[in-house]
Amino acid sequence: MTGVATAPAGLAAHSRAVLAAAQEGGEAAGTTAGEPNVVLAAVLGLLFAVGTYLVLRRDVVRVVWGVSIVSQSANVYLVTMGGITPAGDAPIGGHGGAAGATDPLVQALVLTAIVIGFGTTALALVLTYRVYEEHGTIDTREIGEAGEVDG
Amino acid sequence: MTETIVAAPLLVALVTAIATLLTRASDRLTRATSLLGAGAYLAAVAVLFRAVDPAGAGRTLVYQVSDWRAPFGITLVADPLSAFVLGFGALVSLASLAFAALYVDAYGQRLSFHPLYHFMMVGVTGSFLTGDVFNLFVWFEVMLMSSYILVLFYSGPEHTRAALNYVVLNLLGSAVMLLAIGGLYATTGTLNMADLARRLADPAAYDVALLPVLGLSAVLFSVFALKAGLVPFQFWVPAAYRAAPAPVTAMLAGVVKKVGVYAIVRLYFTVFAAASLPAIRLPGLADFSPDPGVSFLAFFGPVLFVMATASVIFGGFGAVGRVDLDDVLAYSSIAQVGFVVLPLAVAATVTSPAIRTVGVAAALVYAFNHGLAKGLLFLVSGTIEDALGTTDMAAVSGLAARSPLLAGAFLTGALALVGVPPLSGFFGKFLVFDAAARAYAGGASGAGIAIGVALLGAILTIAYYTRAWNAVFWGDATELVDAVLPTRGPDLGASPAGGAVADGAGRDEAHTGVEGTDDDRDAATASGDAEAEADRTGEAETEADRTGEEERDAAPARDDSSPDDQESAGTTGDEGRVQLPHSGGHPGPASRRVALAGEVTIVVSMAIAVVAFGVGFEPVVAAAQGAAEAALDTGGYVDAVAPAAAEEVSGS
Repeated sequence: MTGVATAPAGLAAHSRAVLAAAQEGGEAAGTTAGEPNVVLAAVLGLLFAVGTYLVLRRDVVRVVWGVSIVSQSANVYLVTMGGITPAGDAPIGGHGGAAGATDPLVQALVLTAIVIGFGTTALALVLTYRVYEEHGTIDTREIGEAGEVDG
Repeated sequence: MTETIVAAPLLVALVTAIATLLTRASDRLTRATSLLGAGAYLAAVAVLFRAVDPAGAGRTLVYQVSDWRAPFGITLVADPLSAFVLGFGALVSLASLAFAALYVDAYGQRLSFHPLYHFMMVGVTGSFLTGDVFNLFVWFEVMLMSSYILVLFYSGPEHTRAALNYVVLNLLGSAVMLLAIGGLYATTGTLNMADLARRLADPAAYDVALLPVLGLSAVLFSVFALKAGLVPFQFWVPAAYRAAPAPVTAMLAGVVKKVGVYAIVRLYFTVFAAASLPAIRLPGLADFSPDPGVSFLAFFGPVLFVMATASVIFGGFGAVGRVDLDDVLAYSSIAQVGFVVLPLAVAATVTSPAIRTVGVAAALVYAFNHGLAKGLLFLVSGTIEDALGTTDMAAVSGLAARSPLLAGAFLTGALALVGVPPLSGFFGKFLVFDAAARAYAGGASGAGIAIGVALLGAILTIAYYTRAWNAVFWGDATELVDAVLPTRGPDLGASPAGGAVADGAGRDEAHTGVEGTDDDRDAATASGDAEAEADRTGEAETEADRTGEEERDAAPARDDSSPDDQESAGTTGDEGRVQLPHSGGHPGPASRRVALAGEVTIVVSMAIAVVAFGVGFEPVVAAAQGAAEAALDTGGYVDAVAPAAAEEVSGS
């Protein structure tokens, strides 16, 4: 777990240094880009809506799907926050010479978040199976009733 | 290279976690490594605490990971605030782990309890030390992933249900946190907390729009409120606390909750306080344009106030009505976190720096006190559960006569939370009232209500602890207590050997409502279908003696039942009320007596610590004062972490 946490952390540190030069230009380009951002915003809205809808279902498996969709949309959102340039140059350049490049830091962040999301989704699925074994159902309402105790 | 010391607690916890993974072959070796690691962790924190010296010099030590300078690399920062919270975290952690080494059964110990516990500590330590917002997210995840499995540890019906809620809620919380952090990065262009504070202090120079930052910080706030269990994000607390093993609950309530509180103090009082509130225009509402120079805290003050008030009232009234000791403690910890946040609300609302410092110091002292005292109470509850198999207040009574030491420890913890003078809790409560009263004297709006809420909370605290004390420790012993602890003894270990007790329970036709009294729980939990059937057949009141018979009958045949059976049998209490899943690993009555005696010893030494910190409280208050000053000294934090020299490199 911690290995996972530290490795991308180092990566993030590295990319942030690269970013130092590239950042200004990247953000400026991102705001002027227009079209891809509109599409992404719509897709993001849709993803969050689907995720929220699934989380509110009674079926635990759907809830887990919903949670993982929400966390994946958070990742997509993070990537867009870096500013998508139509011709996204790789952020490689000399000192201060990478204007117009896509922000690489968010991609490092997203890598970290994806790895964490992978682990937690796996846990949530195992937990779902375990819930089924213990309660004989994966309906959240029935689980609540069956397990109701004092208080 | 004194800076390297900042990483020491983190490394010690990490190395211990890995070492306990490597020594899994030998149960004894794992426990020894684990305890040694917790001791080393406390030592590392103590060295760091001395180096930072919150009560005196109040240095801020900064460790730049891999030598990447602050705005670019990840930074570990040990300032007085971090050192203070790490300090009491390490104390509670050592006590809980020592308790766990005796409490968690051998099967559970093999089932990677110790690595999980230490990975949770890694996450807690990292959260306290990091100076980077995204890194905070990562440490939160490290902490949460371990805590998911620790809540799920017994994986019975109750536990899976509680863990499902806990996991889903926190996964959503993590996604929201990621959204907020991504948005903050997009609007401010940095993730480093010090750099963030610098940019927010001078938004024009860095081209930062403050309005989105305000919204995003509010989104982030909801995540921290969820971690801290503040109303309206409290609903996961009671179920999760009941499901987790007692020592883990002690950690969750005592330390992990405080991570949320720490994050609120660190981010909102140190970082976002640097920003001045922008004009807010909402469609359909009058424009809100604050005076120039009013910080974000003015926005969060009322929010904190409402949440704290709701928590104190909800938790207090909830705790008064519970029938299970664990539930009382869980609801109590919702109320007590309200008490921690109440002075923070006062501090955020007032403008006077002096009162603000008092408010934050009050919150920290109260958090310290709550960490120790609530940790102690949950361990007492765990000891009762280990000895009697239940913490239902109807089934447990008259313990004061049977185990005066345990009763004394509970009384100490309860009185500390009530706030009786010689104990550490008095100063916490005193400072909370002091902060509110000073704000009231200064004419701050709502300070009068804050005093009223604090008073109501204090009265409710007295009410529910008196009720719990009366029910569990005073009165006549119930049959269950008589069966398990027939004589008075200095500790619970004085009970007679297992066979005799089991016979006694059966012969007396004990109306216990609990299966598997005392020592025969070893066998009882290992039992297969016979006992599970017995448990399912209706009311325990009428079936108790029959259960006792069956247990004894079935005992010889139980040893060869599979681990799966053990688990299911152990957790199939009547109506889920009685759960004994954690027993069953102790090899025999003698070692169980030793374990119970050890648990009582740990609980008593924690009670002594509560008294000791109350008697010699000046250093703690001084440290909290230093921590509060450091928390509010945004300029000092920025200068220490990301000095202006690094600024030129960023080219902005």
